[in-house]
Amino acid sequence: MIPDEVIEPSFSLSLTPYSGTWTKDQAAHLLRRTMFGPTFAQIQQAVADGMDATVAQLLTLPITDLPLTYLPNELIVPFGETWVDAVYPTIGPSQVDDARRGSLTAWMIKRINQPTVSIQEKMCLFWNNHFGVEESFDARAIFNLMDLYRSSCLRNFKQLVKDVTLDPSMLAFLNGHTNFQSSPNENYSRELLELFTVGKGPQVGPGDYSNYTEADVAAGAKILTGWSVQGWWSDTLTSPQPVFVASEHDTSDKTLSSHFGGVVISNAGDQEYANYIDAIFAQPNIGKFICRKLYRWFVNYDLTPDVESTIISELNTILEANNFEVLPVIEALIKSEHFYDSSLRGTIIKNPMEFFFSMFNATNSSPNFGLVTNSEMYIRIYYFSRALGMTYFTPPNVGGWTAYYQAPSFSRLWASTGYLNLRSNFVTYLTVNSGIPINGEFFKVNALSFLNGLSQPDNAVQVIDDTVEVFCPNGLSVSNKLLLKSLLTNNLPDFEWTTEYSNYTADPLNNLLSDPVRQQMEQVLNCLFKMPEFQTI
Amino acid sequence: MKRRNFIQSVALSSVGAPLLLKDFKFGAITKELFKVSRTAEDRVLILIRLNGGNDGLSTLVPLDQYDNLVIQRPDILIPENQLITLNATNALHPVMTGMGNMFNDGKLSIIQNVGYPEQNRSHFRSMDIWSTGLMDPAGTTGWLGRHLDNNFPNFPDDYPNASYPDPFAISMGYEVSSTCQGLMANFSTTVVDPFDAFNLQESSQLNDGTYYGSHMEYLATMIAQANDYGAAVNAAANNGSTLSTMYDDNNPLAVQLRYVAQMISGGLQTKIYIVNINGFDTHDSQVEDPGTPALGDHANLLKSVSDAVAAFQDDLNLLSLEQRVAGMTFSEFGRQVAANASLGTDHGDAAPLFLFGTCISSQIIGPNPVISDQIVDQAGIPMQIDFRDVYASVLKDWFQADPTDIQAMFEHTINFIPVLDSCNLGINENKLAGEDVIIFPNPCGEQTTIRMNSKNEEVTIQIRDMFNRLVVDVCSKSFTEGLHDIPVTLGDIPSGEYLVTVMKPSGNFTKRIVKVKHI
Repeated sequence: MIPDEVIEPSFSLSLTPYSGTWTKDQAAHLLRRTMFGPTFAQIQQAVADGMDATVAQLLTLPITDLPLTYLPNELIVPFGETWVDAVYPTIGPSQVDDARRGSLTAWMIKRINQPTVSIQEKMCLFWNNHFGVEESFDARAIFNLMDLYRSSCLRNFKQLVKDVTLDPSMLAFLNGHTNFQSSPNENYSRELLELFTVGKGPQVGPGDYSNYTEADVAAGAKILTGWSVQGWWSDTLTSPQPVFVASEHDTSDKTLSSHFGGVVISNAGDQEYANYIDAIFAQPNIGKFICRKLYRWFVNYDLTPDVESTIISELNTILEANNFEVLPVIEALIKSEHFYDSSLRGTIIKNPMEFFFSMFNATNSSPNFGLVTNSEMYIRIYYFSRALGMTYFTPPNVGGWTAYYQAPSFSRLWASTGYLNLRSNFVTYLTVNSGIPINGEFFKVNALSFLNGLSQPDNAVQVIDDTVEVFCPNGLSVSNKLLLKSLLTNNLPDFEWTTEYSNYTADPLNNLLSDPVRQQMEQVLNCLFKMPEFQTI
Repeated sequence: MKRRNFIQSVALSSVGAPLLLKDFKFGAITKELFKVSRTAEDRVLILIRLNGGNDGLSTLVPLDQYDNLVIQRPDILIPENQLITLNATNALHPVMTGMGNMFNDGKLSIIQNVGYPEQNRSHFRSMDIWSTGLMDPAGTTGWLGRHLDNNFPNFPDDYPNASYPDPFAISMGYEVSSTCQGLMANFSTTVVDPFDAFNLQESSQLNDGTYYGSHMEYLATMIAQANDYGAAVNAAANNGSTLSTMYDDNNPLAVQLRYVAQMISGGLQTKIYIVNINGFDTHDSQVEDPGTPALGDHANLLKSVSDAVAAFQDDLNLLSLEQRVAGMTFSEFGRQVAANASLGTDHGDAAPLFLFGTCISSQIIGPNPVISDQIVDQAGIPMQIDFRDVYASVLKDWFQADPTDIQAMFEHTINFIPVLDSCNLGINENKLAGEDVIIFPNPCGEQTTIRMNSKNEEVTIQIRDMFNRLVVDVCSKSFTEGLHDIPVTLGDIPSGEYLVTVMKPSGNFTKRIVKVKHI
């Protein structure tokens, strides 16, 4: 039941580019790990394109749209236009902020519900998990941080840490904006070391966590004194900005511990934070901490000594050789022999976003009812995901979601008895029931569209094989496939399905013909989505 | 609210407590519950996790250090005259009236300066240490998980079964508690609303030894457990009741504890419940304004805890479950002595820990912390009592675990301290501690025994009902110095609650007993 019980599988420990056979198994694995729910067609395309071209496409960032106004209490920006760089009204800014938050939330969920072959949204969620910032005072500030995560998601880690350090939402979240020389606040300073950069090692002495000390936390707090934020809900400034208040800055020399070579950080005003982060990043092997997190995000929870001494160590070498650029690390990882080793398939239990969007995205299901209704549907999904334990913008704490750090359970924390019960209820709701009702429209899994996109929709055996290929990283037993097929054919001989499907395609707009086909496919998905085999990637 | 609960609430408000007890309680609840807690099997432990690191110095204020606290935390310190005084040197935050009353009723125990050597100020690492009870970072089993592993080594294989149909532990909410992580699986099942029925599609999965195979087996097991344990929880919830009117629906902790009372009263044999309250990481806005330091985030949190615990204890009393249930709070650390400039406090070291129930051993354990008159950068409260000793003592006193087994569960040499042993006298004939009175069994049938210490003196013992009417005149005579067991025959007086009063020149005592029909 726990890692101890895993018979140490022998798998490749090499970052050498994978050169084995490239079939739907490898292609689907790559897309499942880097996207939220590849379609059958995307998997076929990746098979045809090969690994290099598919990875290149995944690592290309799409041009993203912007959140648009859709609620009437937005007083500044017209309906359908973006508010991300608009001022707030002098009177009634809070209702405008509510409108913007609604728009932002809907847009964040919509971003995941895209057909684009790109790693961007998986990385955006990764950085949300890494920095753990909760939503802050001003919707524009939250958008700006999300935009930073998206645009920088494959760029320079050191620069991202610097940018996040002065990000207004982060300054507000970890009390960087109330960190004064008269009384330093350690909140950000501690997490910068413990959670964002070097990470906490074993406690080797009083206040000494191997990679940093309590004295470093105190010194860091002093280094970071003097920052504040201006422009929250401003009626003149188009976005909140960090402001350096020299009189609140501690100008004394701050000496770091031996873990940072005893470096002295002298007063450098508003550049001192950057000097400090440079000093942090000078620590040998600093990249290992973020490499471990990327590994757990994309590969497996189990950092065995072997994985540590090979994969993590080599990823760190790549990160440092590239001056902390993230892209080369991820490229090496998702092209590696290790990544494609079949014993590392299905090792991650889906987080709630992966759970929902593996259902929606893989079935080409997205709401198409206009801005208002679509947005409200996406907000509903946001709350569904929250009910399953994952709320975009607000991880449970600054360390991110427990499934990414809490030994020994890790991603199994997404699958407690209570959550599994809820997942089952959501599956029923979104497949065989009528789905999310907004303004007279309904959004649910589009079983018919999914079915029509398969290789031979009129062949019952092939329908089930294709479906399993899309949703199950390690296939499905013969008996479970027969169970699914019996739901598709309604326990009739296979040729009856062929007839039923052909009748439907001959007259596709006839509900009397399409409804039974759709409903039978919904029964298949309803059953499959409740199986353990669906729950991993 | 379930219709049956509603009827019971009406009944509660219209008649006196003893009549209420007589009227429905013994019909509604299995008689099993009214056996004296002879064995640890019947006992329940409630853990309340204060997530984020509770500021102990604002929770339990050391009055003899008050002048120096003014130096350390001028903006957030609550004026002395607003505090709830417990004794000459200790006072609670003003919002903690519920727990203050429990203290006065002898149902609240406070252990001061609890922590561990070389405090780790990371939330995550420290919560791991508190959950596992281990300092070794490689340790992943929880302290309660190890205790349960000792008793049910094959979990989760073959569980639930006919002998153990109910979850061993319940974690309220969606996440299992790390305290219950066993070698093979986590012993806690999650419950959000015990009235929810589960009907998940089951599957059988073999573990082929891969990570994936291990996940498949895990998911199949969880689905089966969700159904089986869900059904048991659901049945208990429907069979149970809650009686206290003190629960506040807007207090999430009170809602969780009411569900717990519902499940216990419904006969669920779960031994451990974990409830959670978040938000104690008060780096800022711990108090609203320096002018009103008794208001703010921390006050709201403490009020939630105090109100919820008091309502729960009230409920246990009304349900006659008090002797079966004890509770304990824990938090990953206390906070620094000096406040920061954000009207908050940063991560610190040791802090007080609360135990509650009628079986607590003593009221305040450990001396007050010493507060310096100088602000020392980053100073916390030094640890005096190791939390692992508290855990070990709870396992010994409450679950009657074998001390040798307990020692084997921890890394350091255990120093047992009495924490929850005052109901054990009927169990293992311990000597009566100090000048106190013990009545056993309690609840009782027609017979019970009063154990007391006396000097060479005249002693009068009477039993009165809740309307102060004399029911049994037990005795009025001279006793020699020493320990005495006085048998009492209650005869056929109505079932319900009564007060036993022991009057003697060296001190009077009043104890509550519960008479039940069947025992």
